[in-house]
Amino acid sequence: MDPVKITIDGREVVTTKGKTVIQAAAEVGVTIPHYCYHPKLSIAGNCRMCLVEIEKMPKLQIACNTQVAEGMSVLTESPKVLAARKAVLEFLLINHPVDCPICDQAGECMLQDYYMEHDRQASRFEVGKMHDRKKTIFGPNVIFDGERCIKCTRCVRFCQEITATHELTVINRGDHSTISLFEDAMLDNPLSANVVDICPVGALTDRDFRFKVRVWYLEKTPSICPGCSTGCNISVETYQNQIARFKPRVNEAVNSHWICDEGRYCFHTLAAGERLTTPMIRQEGGLIPTTWEDAFAAVYKRLTAAKPLAGILSGRNTNEEAFLFAKLVKKLSADAALEVFYQERELTETQKILISPDRSPNFRGAREMGVSSNGGFAALMQKLTAGGFSGLYVVGEDLCGANGAGEQIRTALQKLSFLVVQDTRMTETAKLAHVVLPVTHFGEKDGTYTNRKGRVQKLHAAVIPPDGTLPDSEVFIRLLAAAGENVEYSTSADIFAVLAREIAAYQSLDYDSISDVGIELGRGGGGAS
Amino acid sequence: MEKLLLRNIGVPDSHTLSTYQSRGGYGSWRRVVESIKSEQVIEEVKASGLRGRGGAGFPTGMKWSFVPKDSPKPKYLVCNADESEPGTFKDRLLIEQDPHAIVEGTLIAAYAIQSHTGFIYVRGELVFGTQRLERAVEEAYQAGFIGKNLFGSGYDLDLIVHRGAGAYICGEETALLSSLEGGRGWPKVKPPFPATHGLFGCPTVVNNVETLAVLPWIFERGASAYSAMGTEKSKGTKLFSVSGHIARPGVYEVEMGYPFNKFLEEDCGGVPNGKKLKGVIPGGGSMPVLKPEEIENVKLDYESVQAAGSLLGSGGVIVMDETTCMVRAAWNIARFYAHESCGQCSPCREGCHWMEKIFYRVERGEGQKGDLDLILNISGNIMGNTICPFGDAAAMPAAAFIRKYREEFEEHIVQKRCTMGC
Repeated sequence: MDPVKITIDGREVVTTKGKTVIQAAAEVGVTIPHYCYHPKLSIAGNCRMCLVEIEKMPKLQIACNTQVAEGMSVLTESPKVLAARKAVLEFLLINHPVDCPICDQAGECMLQDYYMEHDRQASRFEVGKMHDRKKTIFGPNVIFDGERCIKCTRCVRFCQEITATHELTVINRGDHSTISLFEDAMLDNPLSANVVDICPVGALTDRDFRFKVRVWYLEKTPSICPGCSTGCNISVETYQNQIARFKPRVNEAVNSHWICDEGRYCFHTLAAGERLTTPMIRQEGGLIPTTWEDAFAAVYKRLTAAKPLAGILSGRNTNEEAFLFAKLVKKLSADAALEVFYQERELTETQKILISPDRSPNFRGAREMGVSSNGGFAALMQKLTAGGFSGLYVVGEDLCGANGAGEQIRTALQKLSFLVVQDTRMTETAKLAHVVLPVTHFGEKDGTYTNRKGRVQKLHAAVIPPDGTLPDSEVFIRLLAAAGENVEYSTSADIFAVLAREIAAYQSLDYDSISDVGIELGRGGGGAS
Repeated sequence: MEKLLLRNIGVPDSHTLSTYQSRGGYGSWRRVVESIKSEQVIEEVKASGLRGRGGAGFPTGMKWSFVPKDSPKPKYLVCNADESEPGTFKDRLLIEQDPHAIVEGTLIAAYAIQSHTGFIYVRGELVFGTQRLERAVEEAYQAGFIGKNLFGSGYDLDLIVHRGAGAYICGEETALLSSLEGGRGWPKVKPPFPATHGLFGCPTVVNNVETLAVLPWIFERGASAYSAMGTEKSKGTKLFSVSGHIARPGVYEVEMGYPFNKFLEEDCGGVPNGKKLKGVIPGGGSMPVLKPEEIENVKLDYESVQAAGSLLGSGGVIVMDETTCMVRAAWNIARFYAHESCGQCSPCREGCHWMEKIFYRVERGEGQKGDLDLILNISGNIMGNTICPFGDAAAMPAAAFIRKYREEFEEHIVQKRCTMGC
């Protein structure tokens, strides 16, 4: 890595050989305006927005394709550069419909933003705009408006270079140029909706999200995708206490700039349906509402008596919850079987770019917290269907709806002397429970997940849970108290501090110092090294 | 003057191998392969002073010397026969009448850079020309001038004729390479340059037909014979395609430095029907138009035409007499560029059409005050800001027409009609 010294707007910058001007500038916080450049895609050089002045070069140069050289002097705000930028923006806008009031991109549109920063002139174009296809469906998640498109080809390059699925191309010539699907192609690859994120304008919009909310009303909470054990970094974006969309957050150690479509839309399933808002207890053949106090008393009493006991925790539960759950179930019955729900599936090559075979975002973490016995989940389920347990505590998973063996499991669950189901909705499994405890989902709580590669990452509460529910951790703490173990902690940070003392691999990790991009176990002080 | 490029034109069956060989054809090629090292070929061409005839006038030998000698990748030589510049038809004449000269020149150039595969990329519309080239290549294969172990030297060389699909932009060398690779005819961002990252990412040289076709002569007669012709910086001869209001239109070969006025008046017979010259485009549609007074002392070489405010370009001379509506001429050229813009980069994609639409409005008598300055401003915003030289090629003539014939444009706007009776 040879150091190269250049100046950007008179400021000395030391960068490395092989970097481009746009990268070197970004390293020191100078964003050179651009559309087609994307750090993860090949250089297209077509938008011409990043033109900069370079000393000793007669013409302006595009910063995205100009490599730094020792002593190079770059001007990003010279009169020549500002004039060119203004001109390029004007070119990009002459045929644009300027339909911001009905465009979903408004508010996060780089045409709007750059127009306000660099153009700000009335239109000089009065000779008839080009027309192109409107609301053209590209795939199940993506819709295209050709008139808003600036032909930066980020979407085309994404499908060529990231997914290698090659659905999109540019067709026609001159100002008739437009983005199109290849014949017989659909933009339905497992990462397709990323083209919406990288589209700098309103040409590609998300069929699921569009027209739901104006983006400036969204509240954004950094979190972790609950879709699988890859642990993609996301921003949970909410409106009026509802999750409106997931967007990827950049984390080069995990998901780079992307998330998969499955993850992107998984909140619909995970947060949908009528919520349970009161504990329920089975009486005279039916589940009837009860108070938390009565529910806790019943659960504690009946679970202590039900031996052998098993506990199944959802892989969407956090490390903190898993830690408490393991503590609780072992307290109730020292030889209880404990497992994290697990389901694996075959993946295609394109899915493998981001998706993990198992859908549990915290499978590894929860097991490391002690939610595991010998044999694993499959063995536990086998024993369950064979009638090997008397009591079962299920958290956050619908065992009946889970796989092909639904009926067999249903029969096994019906035979249990005591079944507690702790969930957000009245699932098929919950319907069979003796006690049902209403809790919160991934979007309503703080905590940490450990992805399959051992990266500890934080999720943050993005919405307020409905009245009547309790966080899983609170339920476990109250039951631990009923069992005689009064714990002095309640927040995720508190619980994490305790688990960091007790779990070797997490030793000396500190909750507050885990940043929004997480920390790898074994690095930064983790004991696993 | 001795003809170098047109020496076989007019000879019966000039396109056949037997005629070409009977006039000494492939003698240079044999001598080059048998007795000259590739480095010496490059040195010889450097010494001849030959410059690229595609329009830019870049020294040919120097272009070849940029090809890395130690690259493990294959190297390619591409003959650019995608002649599409408005007003230019010199390559077509050679392609149809003297295809073996092109083949022989291409082989010599390929040898110079030690390439084992050459391509001739022919303009899609030149169906007849393509047939002639394909036949010539076939004959040369049969005669053992192309193929394996040439003249027993151990040197292998294949030559492939490829027809384009009909886009002006594919005459731009990197767009040509994109097209040859099977992709859209889009110019590539530079750097890297074709000499190191050309066809399929391999070192590649792209040379114009006229550049290559003169190589057999140079290796027959020597670099010094070539450099003895022309001016200090523009050596040899150049083909000119003359069209428009001229008594004898056609393809002419003249020595570099020949007086422009004399050329038009004497060689080409001047403007016919007693009409006066109004303007002349010296180097193909993308070059700025010159007024009669601007060409008075101009010589036909790169430097002199540039000093006069235009460029020699491809040598496509378009002559316009006093009856020509310069607004319509400008619109016609603008329309060509709007139609041919590849659409890849923003200033050209949007700007060419914008200019075309305004020119059209002015010509129709619907022009508005400020339209001319707007076009000048748009052309200035395109100039130098695009991926390839196409942007400049569209911007330069537009600005030149307005600057030089502004009164005529203004009259169109004021009188709200075409004042030339179009």
